[in-house]
Amino acid sequence: MPKSPRPRARFSFSPTVRALLLAVAACGTALPALAATEHEDVDRLMQAGKLDEAMTKAEAFLKDKPRDPQMRFLKGVIQLDTGKRTEAIAAFTQLTQDAPELPEPFNNLAVIYASQNQFDKARNALESAIRTNPSYATAQENLGDVYARLASQAYSKALQLDQNNTAVQPKLAVIRTLFTAPPAAGSKGGSTLVASATTTPAPAPAAKPAPAPAPAPVAKAPAPAPVPAPAPVAKAPPAPAPAPVAPPVKVAAAPAPAAKTPEPAPAPAPAAAPASTAEIESVVRGWASAWASQDMDRYLAAYGSDFVPAGGQSRKAWEEDRRARIVGKSSISVNLENLAIKVDGQTATARFRQVYRADNLNIASRKTLELQRSGNQWHIRKESVGG
Amino acid sequence: MAASALALATPGVALAANNHNSSASSKTANAKNSGTTKAAKAGGSRASAKEAKSAKAGSGSSKAQLQAKSKRAAVADSASPARPARKTARTAAPIQEASGAEARLIGVYELFGRGKTREALAKAQTLVRDHPNFQLAQLVYGDLLAAQVPPSNAMPDTAGIARLRGNPAMVELHEESRRRLQALRERPPAGTVPSQFLTLSTRSRFAIAVDASRSRLYLFENADKGMKLVADYYISVGKSGTDKAVEGDARTPLGVYYITSSLDPRSLKDFYGAGALPINYPNPYDVRRGKTGSGIWLHGTPPQQFARAPLASDGCVVMANPDLKQLLRKVQIGATPVVTARSLQWISQPQAEKEEKKFADSITAWKDARASGNEAQLKKFYLPDFQRASRKPVDADSVLRDELTYAQGKRVQIKDVSYLHWRDTEDTMVATFGEVFEGEKNGRTRRQYWLRQAGEWKLFHEEILG
Repeated sequence: MPKSPRPRARFSFSPTVRALLLAVAACGTALPALAATEHEDVDRLMQAGKLDEAMTKAEAFLKDKPRDPQMRFLKGVIQLDTGKRTEAIAAFTQLTQDAPELPEPFNNLAVIYASQNQFDKARNALESAIRTNPSYATAQENLGDVYARLASQAYSKALQLDQNNTAVQPKLAVIRTLFTAPPAAGSKGGSTLVASATTTPAPAPAAKPAPAPAPAPVAKAPAPAPVPAPAPVAKAPPAPAPAPVAPPVKVAAAPAPAAKTPEPAPAPAPAAAPASTAEIESVVRGWASAWASQDMDRYLAAYGSDFVPAGGQSRKAWEEDRRARIVGKSSISVNLENLAIKVDGQTATARFRQVYRADNLNIASRKTLELQRSGNQWHIRKESVGG
Repeated sequence: MAASALALATPGVALAANNHNSSASSKTANAKNSGTTKAAKAGGSRASAKEAKSAKAGSGSSKAQLQAKSKRAAVADSASPARPARKTARTAAPIQEASGAEARLIGVYELFGRGKTREALAKAQTLVRDHPNFQLAQLVYGDLLAAQVPPSNAMPDTAGIARLRGNPAMVELHEESRRRLQALRERPPAGTVPSQFLTLSTRSRFAIAVDASRSRLYLFENADKGMKLVADYYISVGKSGTDKAVEGDARTPLGVYYITSSLDPRSLKDFYGAGALPINYPNPYDVRRGKTGSGIWLHGTPPQQFARAPLASDGCVVMANPDLKQLLRKVQIGATPVVTARSLQWISQPQAEKEEKKFADSITAWKDARASGNEAQLKKFYLPDFQRASRKPVDADSVLRDELTYAQGKRVQIKDVSYLHWRDTEDTMVATFGEVFEGEKNGRTRRQYWLRQAGEWKLFHEEILG
C-alpha cells in the first residue's frame, strides 16, 4: 500500500469503475442526466431524514438498474442510517467486490465494523479503501482513529486492564455519497456522469497552494511522520498519506465540487503546503467527530485558549452551555459537506455546510471555523455561522 | 506520542543492525544448531529461524548503537564496523532456542529497526493473535499501531493512549523489554560456562544457570565433549530481587542447588502454569548461615499471563509456559544442578578444568587421609560443626570413626564427579561423586559441602545420597 500516490491514478478511474460508470450511463438509455437527478433526489431525501422515502426511491431505481453502484451505495447508507447493519454490510461488501476500486464502500464497511468493535476488520477495510485511493482523507482519518483504538486495546491488554473500562467507541465518519456522484443539478446532461466522475482533471487551479499530492514531498516532508521513524522511506501509508489527502473528500459529499476540486496537477507546489490543508481537514473532522461522539474533552480541546465565544459569553459559560447541549443526546451526527479550506501561514479558514442531526433535530447550516496554529497544533479561534 | 515506540525500538535497532553485519557468520552458526533442537522448533513459525538468526548478536558495537539517538544513526553506526561485528558474532554463543514467541518479538523489533514498519506491524499482529496474553508483545503492537496514527488525528484516542502509557505498570514492561534485548545482545562467549560449573558428571545431562541481572535462564547440555549452551529463556525473579535471607522476603536465593522434584501441574493451582520444579533451598550452606524460607520453585505462569515482569515472584524463578515445558522434558530430579546468580561470570572450559584440578587435590587428600587410618590426619578436613545428614544429626567424631572403619586400607575409586563452585563472601564447593571400592560394583554417592578457610578446604556438611 505504501506505494506513492500518483496523481494520475488518484483521480482517474480504473477500467472497472469506468466500465461500471459507462454501464450506468448506457442503461440510463440516453438519460444519464435523469439518473443523476434520481441519485440526487435520494440523497436529498436522506439528508432530510426521509429515509423511508429515500429507500423506496432507491429500490425503484435499482429495479431497473440493479448494478448502479451509486444507488447501491446510497441504499447501503440508508440501511446504515436505519440501523440495518447486516444489510448495510452486505450491500457495501458486495460493492467492494463489484467495484473494488471504489474506496467509499470500504470506508463505510469499516465504520460499521468499528461500531461493532471489530477494529481489525475495520482496519483492513480502511486499508483497502486507501489502497484504492491513497488520498482519501476520510478513510485516512478513520484509519487513524482505528489505529488509535487498536493501540489503546493493545496497551490495555499489555497492562491487563479491563477492556470495558477504556472502551469509548470511536465514531468514524460515514461517507454518504460516492466520489463519483453526479455533480450538482444543472450540469450538462449527456456524458455528465462520466465526466463528473472525473471532475477532478478539471481546469486545475494549479496556481493555488493546492494540496499538491506530488509524490516527491513524501520523502521531503517528514513533518507528518507519526514516528521518529527509522527510515523516512518505509514509513508506511499514514505518514505520507495525510499530505495529499484533502481534496477528493470534499468532492465526495459536495454537490458543487467545482470550486474545490484541487488539482493533482503535479504542480511544482511547495512541499509544505499540502500538509497544512490536510491537517486542517483532520482537525475539523476531528472536531466534528468529537462533537458527534459527545466526547467533550476532545471537543473542547479543539478550541484554542484564545477562542472567544460569540455573543459575549465567557469561555466557561460557553463550555457549560456546549456541554449541556451536547452531552446526553441519544445520538448526534455531524456531517460536513463542501468543506473548503484556506491556509494562510499560521492561520486557516474552514468553510463548510454542517449537517447536524440529534434526536429529532436536523439542521443544516453554513459554518466557518477560523483556525490558528500554535506549535504543531491547530486550534479553533473563531466559530461563526453563515458565510 | 511516539516516545514509547522509540524507546522500545531503539535497542531493537541496535540489535537488528548488529545482525546485518554478521549475517554471514550467524547463518553458519544457525545452520549448525538447526540440525539439532532448532529444527523442530523452526517449523512452528516460518520466520523463526530467520528471527533467531537475526536475534543473535555480536556485542561489539552495541554500546554505541544503544546510545544512538535515532534509528538512522543506529543504522549508520552499524554499517561501518562490519568487520569487528562479524568477529564478535563468531565468538559469541548464538541464541539457540529462545521461545518461539520471544524470537518472533525480536523479529518485530528487528523489522521496525530497519524501517519496515508495515511488516513489523503485521508480525506483531500475528504474534498477539497467537499469544494474546504476551503483554510485552501487546505493548510493542500498541506502539506500532500508535505510530500509525497521523499526528493530525490529535483528537481521537490520544488522551487515552497517553494515559495508558503513563500507567506505572508500563515501566515493568519496558524493563522486561530491556532485559530481553540485553540478554540477546550480550551473548555468553562461545565455549564458556558459568564459573560455578567446574565439572559436571555426565550423569547430569543438563544444567541450569540463572542470571538474575539479565532475567535469563541458560540451559546447558552436558555431553562427553563438555557443556554446551542449548537454550536460554526469559525468566522472572523475586519482587525484592535476589539474595534471599529470610522467609517471606520475596527474594530469590543465590547459590548452587539441585532440582529435587517435579510437581504435576494437575496438582497445582493455575497460578503455577505448566508445572513446577522445586530446588533444595535452603541448602546446607544456606542453613549454616541461618537463611530461612522454603518452596523455591522454577515454575510457569497463570493462563492470563505469558510472562511476568522481571521482578514479580515471591522468590521463585518464573518462566513462560512453553519455555517451562521444554525444560520439563530435560531436567532430571536430583541430578540437574541449578545455579542462581546475581550476574553470571563466564569462564572458558580450560579454565574451569584448571579450577577443578585444584579442588580435586583436596578431595584426593581427604580420601588418602581416610585410607591411611590416621584419625588426626583425617580430622583436619572437617570443621568442628560438621554434620552429616541423616535421621538424626551425626557429630563429626562419630563420622570420623565411621569413615575410618568404612574405608581403612581399601582402595577407593572416585567417579561421576560434579564440582559446583560458589563464591560470595565465602568460598564454597558442592562436590557430588560416587565412590567404589576396588573389586566392587557399587558404592555410595556422596554430596559434600566444602568451605575454604585460610586457604584450606574443609568439610562442613555431607549427604549420602545412596
